[in-house]
Amino acid sequence: MSTAPCRTVRIAQTGEEYACRATETVLIALARIGRKAIPVGCLSGGCGVCRVAVRRGRWHKSGPMSRAHVSEEDEAQGIALACRIVPDEDLEVEVIGKLQRAAPTSG
Amino acid sequence: MGVMRIGHASLKVMDIDAAVDHYETVIGMKTTHRGKDGSAFLKCWDEWDKYSVVLTPSDRAGLNHIAYKVERDSDLDVLEKRIRDWGLGVEPVPADGLQFCGRSLKMTLPSGHQMYLYAQKELVGKDVGTTNPDPWPDDIRGAGAHWLDHCLLMAEVNPAKGVNRVAETTKFLMETMDFHLSEQIMGGLGNSVQLASWLFRTTTPHDIAFAPAPVAGLHHIAFFLDDWSSVKHAADVMAKKKVRIDVAPTRHGITRGETTYFFDPSGNRNETFAGLGYLAQPDMPVITWTEEELGRGIFYHTGQLNEAFLKVYT
Repeated sequence: MSTAPCRTVRIAQTGEEYACRATETVLIALARIGRKAIPVGCLSGGCGVCRVAVRRGRWHKSGPMSRAHVSEEDEAQGIALACRIVPDEDLEVEVIGKLQRAAPTSG
Repeated sequence: MGVMRIGHASLKVMDIDAAVDHYETVIGMKTTHRGKDGSAFLKCWDEWDKYSVVLTPSDRAGLNHIAYKVERDSDLDVLEKRIRDWGLGVEPVPADGLQFCGRSLKMTLPSGHQMYLYAQKELVGKDVGTTNPDPWPDDIRGAGAHWLDHCLLMAEVNPAKGVNRVAETTKFLMETMDFHLSEQIMGGLGNSVQLASWLFRTTTPHDIAFAPAPVAGLHHIAFFLDDWSSVKHAADVMAKKKVRIDVAPTRHGITRGETTYFFDPSGNRNETFAGLGYLAQPDMPVITWTEEELGRGIFYHTGQLNEAFLKVYT
């Protein structure tokens, strides 16, 4: 088990809180416990479904985020992909991304 | 004559070293060339041409292009005319426009994806050679994939706007390149709308496939494995290496393939699959899945769609 300190991540819309180790991303920590406040996609910075706006707290990037989903302007405003956010302190994030319907419904 | 098989897929990756490591140690490919721009060219042990995957450094994930190999150089002249007559723009590209390939044809499919056709690529040979070969080489790594088998591309379908790029691209490939339709998903009013299609030129159920999405993209590229045991072994490799698995080993209704889906380090989806399903032939009656049985068509055992499966792509 990791002995890394735990941070608390708060989802702005719902007030839901969960623990995230200081060595993992906020999306991995969420997916690991099977909760779904943020959509889980490729977990690799490429697909963009886990877009969030960090409202409070410092963090650092665990790897590259696709510019197709997070522009430089977005990044300057605190928008990022949850699968690449490693918390340096407690965070509050607003969920922006969603799983969009790929196929139109019939009828 | 005409298109033989998928030749290669060129992908954008955000961390080239991580990507090369993934395709080498998880898929089991070998790097055959590194470009000055950092790009990497890789092949599987059972392939004979120089590369089937190209990785190019980028600030995003996704597909650069797909390329299909035709049998004879003269086929390119015939196909160029057919494509032009169909009403699609097509650009002749001189030799080495596609690296290590002869002359090629470049076009943008109705789906929005860039596609090349070429007749010649530098020959490297299989790792086991051609004289009294062993059934597999000794230095297999990871899944030890045999070959790049097919791709699934996402194309815009929006009946409200009268847009169906899946049906349009399917029609284009059938009418110009003699692709054959093996299976399709029909939905909408009276199941009259073609929502997805599986097309072949080889004798396997698909060499290319299309599925509906709000915007064009890459759903996955797929690598062929021997059998169900190899599918499980490949998933073990992924778990050991903490690869993000999207769909753990299961079976498709559509194509009958035994499959695992996972993501490369940039989020491009890969598939390792086994089971060539059935003998696909030009005169085989088309198999139709209706939208209400879509779940079983895709994940045969559970009959339930993993929500992310059709909605997450690069």
